[in-house]
Amino acid sequence: MDINWAMIAPLFVIQGLLLIFALLDWAKAEDYRGSKWMWLFIIIFISMVGPVLYFLFGRKR
Amino acid sequence: MTLLSVTDLTKEYQSKKAVKAISFSFEENRCIALLGPNGAGKTTVLRTLAGLLKPTSGTISFKGYKPNEDIRSLIGYLPQYPVFHDWMTGLEFLIYSGQLANMTKHEAYERADELLERVGIADAKKLNIGKYSGGMKQRLGIAQAIIHRPKLLMLDEPVSSLDPIGRREVLTLMEELKKEMTILFSTHILGDAEEVSDELLLLRNGEIIESGRMADLREKYQTAGITLTFHSDLEKYKEELHALPSVRSAYIEREKIIVSADNLEKARLEILQMAIKNHWPLTSFAINRASLEEMFMKVVAE
Amino acid sequence: MQWMTLLKKELIENWRNRKFIWVPLVFILLAIMEPLSTYYMPEILDAVGGLPEGTVLDMPELPPGDVLMLSLAQFSSLGVLLIVLLSMGTIAGERKSGVAELILVKPVSYTNYITAKWLALFILVFIAFLLGLAGGFYYTTILFGELPMSAFFYTLLFYSLWLAFVVTISIFYNTIFNSPGLVAFASIATIILMSVITQVFGHVLDWSPNQISAYLSQMMVEETVSKDLIATGLTTAGMTIILLVLSVIMFKRKELAN
Repeated sequence: MDINWAMIAPLFVIQGLLLIFALLDWAKAEDYRGSKWMWLFIIIFISMVGPVLYFLFGRKR
Repeated sequence: MTLLSVTDLTKEYQSKKAVKAISFSFEENRCIALLGPNGAGKTTVLRTLAGLLKPTSGTISFKGYKPNEDIRSLIGYLPQYPVFHDWMTGLEFLIYSGQLANMTKHEAYERADELLERVGIADAKKLNIGKYSGGMKQRLGIAQAIIHRPKLLMLDEPVSSLDPIGRREVLTLMEELKKEMTILFSTHILGDAEEVSDELLLLRNGEIIESGRMADLREKYQTAGITLTFHSDLEKYKEELHALPSVRSAYIEREKIIVSADNLEKARLEILQMAIKNHWPLTSFAINRASLEEMFMKVVAE
Repeated sequence: MQWMTLLKKELIENWRNRKFIWVPLVFILLAIMEPLSTYYMPEILDAVGGLPEGTVLDMPELPPGDVLMLSLAQFSSLGVLLIVLLSMGTIAGERKSGVAELILVKPVSYTNYITAKWLALFILVFIAFLLGLAGGFYYTTILFGELPMSAFFYTLLFYSLWLAFVVTISIFYNTIFNSPGLVAFASIATIILMSVITQVFGHVLDWSPNQISAYLSQMMVEETVSKDLIATGLTTAGMTIILLVLSVIMFKRKELAN
């Protein structure tokens, strides 16, 4: 069985979008819970979960 | 015409009484200061009137409404530390506030624009509130409180967190607003109360210990007196002063004799005449007036 | 009118803080990962290289209905967790920060306030679920075989009722507690407790909201909507309405300033 990459591509595209939106928001945000740079690491290095954690807990309301 | 009357209002938190059966009322188009030291219960009173707290007992009656009816459409309220939706612009927040008070979007927009100008933050109306300074937030807070033209405006410590310039501006604004609506504001600074208010409610430990028109209170607490200084024989002069018909009392305080009189003018004349006639070795003669401040300090310290 | 103002504010807020973007993306990811990882499991195991020489992998061929249920299972666990975390501060947070003091001193009807919050949250959750389910459905059909479109619509309809119920649980605790953390904890605890009770007393609690997934799974096999599914759906809707009314009552009774 061969892997059909066209089939899997959307998975990576969506993960990429999530990452990009998180980074855009991170760059614009002013108040962070905890350190700004810690959140950058979380967003980039914890795939999928990182951006979600950032959106949920990273910003002050 | 009485606008609001409060009867036996009590508020308890976990068996601790923050407000103890207070009663007061005030008329339309007055400016009333709720004066008291920190922890006197000022904020609790304002929050209860605003409907944010429920009274443990007692009634709040607004002109033309049943006791304890929902009067939120008639009041504007600014908490001591207003918090906004930081992601909205100042203009958006005002329009939102206006619409919540059942104005149409168009009405709210027009009024918001006018108020932003009036409180002096028109330049920042398109800026997110998150970027506002403390003073700008205070102005926005006043604007949101009056957007729906309330009959009663309640401000909790409106000037205490501001710098002298900001304080002056807000007091001037209150002076103007007095013409349009009744204002009830809390403060722990007598000077602020004296500056803009017509009436005073003095609160301590959840009780109203003094209230009335500013002018009446000033008169009531004004104890006029004359201070005379001599080098020696104070007892002797004190007796002579006592004998004068216009002198109510005289007592010695270190080098001085302090005289109090009901009619200051008459007392001054009599004392000076006697001093000349008897060749008193006076070293100083002074007229002094005690102020509301002394009364406030005395009352608060008790 | 006032209700629309409140609803619009919530929708704009969810747009500006990007919830309308990232929540659907996460739901799509949750849903499409299941059919993909199930389909490519042999390759994944191979790539990891953990298999000793000569191991024969006998992967059973799953029917498409079961695969779609795997996606749904993701929504039931991670999806529900996400919804609770998203909504834990919708009222409690406003009260904690003090914004509520400015809003509720305006003549705002408490019923409007609560129901607008509820609907805004449900709209967000529904859009995320709709897109996620569509993604999962699409991958399932092309990798594992055709499913009738009715399976999609019934799943959308009945599972949305369950999600609406989850939203309502969170709103309910939002009216009770001032701390978002406490709201999340109580909501999760309630959902877990309900699921345990449903498992233990399953024979008497035929129509417990927690049964919706089980009946949907049954629907995939039998290709008909059972009476039990409809009854469970109605029970869930009924409980949602009751809980929403209770939320309004609790909110009215609670003092708004702390």
